Amino acid sequence: MIVAGRYFDGRTSAGVEARLEFGADGKVHVYGTAEPIVAPLAEIGISERVGNITRRITFPGGGVFETQDNDAVDRARESFGMRGGSALVHWLESRWQVAVGSLVAVVLVSIAFVQWGVPAAANWAAEVMPADVDRAIGAGSLDVLDRVAFEPSGLPKKRQQELRGRFVTMTKPLDDGHVYQLEFRHGGHIGANAFALPSGIIVMTDELVELAKTDDEIVSVLAHEIGHVRGRHALRHLLQAAGISSLAFALLGDVSTISGVLSAAPALLHAKNSRDFEREADAFAKQWLRENGIAESSFDSMLCRLNDSHGGGEEDDDFDYFSSHPATSERAQCSREEEPEAAAEDAKPAPEDAPVEADVPVEEAPLIDTPREE
Amino acid sequence: MNENPYERASPVSPPSRPNPEPASRVMLPFEFRGNGGEYFRIWIVNLLLTIITLGIYSAWAKVRRLRYFYGNTFVDGQSFDYHGQPLAILKGRLIVVAGYVVFFITSQMFPVFAGLLAVVLALFGVPWIIMRSRKFQMRMTSYRNLRFNFHGQYGGAMAAFIGWYFLALFTLGILFPVWLRKRVQYSLDNSSYGNQHFSFLTDNGTYYKFCIVTLLLGIAVFVGFIAVLTTVFGINAMLMDIESMASFGIWVVMFAFIVALLGVAGYYQASSLNAAFGGVQVGSQYVRSYLKAWPLIGIYVSNLFAIVFTLGLYYPWAKVRQVRYQLENMAIDSDGNLEAFTASSGVGIDAVGEEVGDFFDVDFGI
Repeated sequence: MIVAGRYFDGRTSAGVEARLEFGADGKVHVYGTAEPIVAPLAEIGISERVGNITRRITFPGGGVFETQDNDAVDRARESFGMRGGSALVHWLESRWQVAVGSLVAVVLVSIAFVQWGVPAAANWAAEVMPADVDRAIGAGSLDVLDRVAFEPSGLPKKRQQELRGRFVTMTKPLDDGHVYQLEFRHGGHIGANAFALPSGIIVMTDELVELAKTDDEIVSVLAHEIGHVRGRHALRHLLQAAGISSLAFALLGDVSTISGVLSAAPALLHAKNSRDFEREADAFAKQWLRENGIAESSFDSMLCRLNDSHGGGEEDDDFDYFSSHPATSERAQCSREEEPEAAAEDAKPAPEDAPVEADVPVEEAPLIDTPREE
Repeated sequence: MNENPYERASPVSPPSRPNPEPASRVMLPFEFRGNGGEYFRIWIVNLLLTIITLGIYSAWAKVRRLRYFYGNTFVDGQSFDYHGQPLAILKGRLIVVAGYVVFFITSQMFPVFAGLLAVVLALFGVPWIIMRSRKFQMRMTSYRNLRFNFHGQYGGAMAAFIGWYFLALFTLGILFPVWLRKRVQYSLDNSSYGNQHFSFLTDNGTYYKFCIVTLLLGIAVFVGFIAVLTTVFGINAMLMDIESMASFGIWVVMFAFIVALLGVAGYYQASSLNAAFGGVQVGSQYVRSYLKAWPLIGIYVSNLFAIVFTLGLYYPWAKVRQVRYQLENMAIDSDGNLEAFTASSGVGIDAVGEEVGDFFDVDFGI
């Protein structure tokens, strides 16, 4: 089999018109050069085919035979049984059916990665890391919150001690490496809410304590926040964000132009994670209540009243990918007697400007969404 | 294989330059033989392989992408080639990704420390990365079985990219054109093909000229915009009274303003590319570059719109279109003999190709 091309010896840029023969003797000959060139098939290197670019056949001394006749080189490779992964990639790259199939697969696989792959990897990584890591992430969070959001608690010391006592009996048996601590603050514009910091500090606003009708309701909220700390939601969120970012970096290193278009993906993931974490914390709270003989309805009634106090009830059941918390109607059974309006509102279509969550970082995991200031 | 089916007449007469033998000069145009459809198939298959291998295949994808573009770039009937090894590139990428993850976590835990670290890295690390990646890119490029090379040192990169940057800053931008030139000069003056060093011929005057023209054009566009607004739409426009401005006329003026601004951006981009590539001398070969403002910016803008409207699918065609326009407006003003270059130190390509540790391939434009 003879292929036409040019031979470059690698010492100068001069090339000569030459012919290359894949001999039946298993040797490769180049004719047309000043001295005849010959090498065993096993000692030459054939560059991988990409599109229809110039093919390079490299000889042991560093000389290169260049040809445009890719098909002839491929036929020769095939007849000598030289097959490799590169030939497969070129086969894939040269078919439109494969290209269309790849396009569909890229879309599906990307969705699956964000939906399942990254969370699973982050959970695995979080399991490997000690509880100290959570403490490091949360260190200083309370100071920042005190500066920007909270005011000192106005709750009587006696009441605080009472609730701390219940908190200690709740957290003592857990023994999971986390150092739990309960703090009270005046919420101000935040209103009635509770926050779990990754370091194990749980902040409850005076407004929430006042809103609760029974101590069991407060306990149910504490159980939910403990669920956030135990579930290590801040760390897992951080790991997922890092995973998505480095994935995007690896994927789009080549495709800088569309990386901008896709940069919304982590934001979507953020909200979705956050809702999943809320569900986990809810489940933990309800299980804990059951195991400790407290009615699960305490959690429901507290959540419904909280939702109400934040001007809730207008929340719609439609699947909202940007929401950081699941709809309250999904999280709790609000009794009709207590919330007649809320139940009726559920049937209404989504308002044009569905409430968007205030930008509270997930590390502070509020109990319910804090609506944006009007 | 010697004749070149795409050969065409020399573009325009070369700008006046000191040419050694003007009588026997010949224009050798660059050409690009790839096409968008072919590149689309390569791109999408490699993107899929990259995703399902969790990004590991991206190093192989990069090599295939660069080989496609280098291998389709012809001058004088011969093409370039790229020799980067996927494993070396993968190693570099893993280091970068690991560093990024560490930095991301650090920035969450110690924001202030991470901020300081970022500044120090930018000041001292970026010139080093530029130097290494330039070296990698040049060494991995061949033409007629001779490699390119890069001899730049860290100190030079530090001076060109950081030192001159601060000088430009402290002089309130008066030295900005010099900084632009120093960066390009570092990249090109330190390059070689075989044992022949490049020279970068574009002088400061050229940089000052197009920078000043860009500035004046920009000022003229803004002044013209304000003038038209105030005379045609009266005092309302000055007060930015949106209600009374919401007419058809205002949209025409806005559109004209944006088009004019894009034209200025195109002029700047075309001029700086021409100044960079058009200043390359390799022995008795001179590279010429004839990019023009409007076609260049037209390609950028239409590509951007097409990519957004096709959700990224147009990307391969856009890339090919841009590369083709740029290459087909470049040529080598040659003495007709591209065959007289010799390899450095007289050895084959393997000696250079075997360099280890050169795995930084971060892309950056000159």
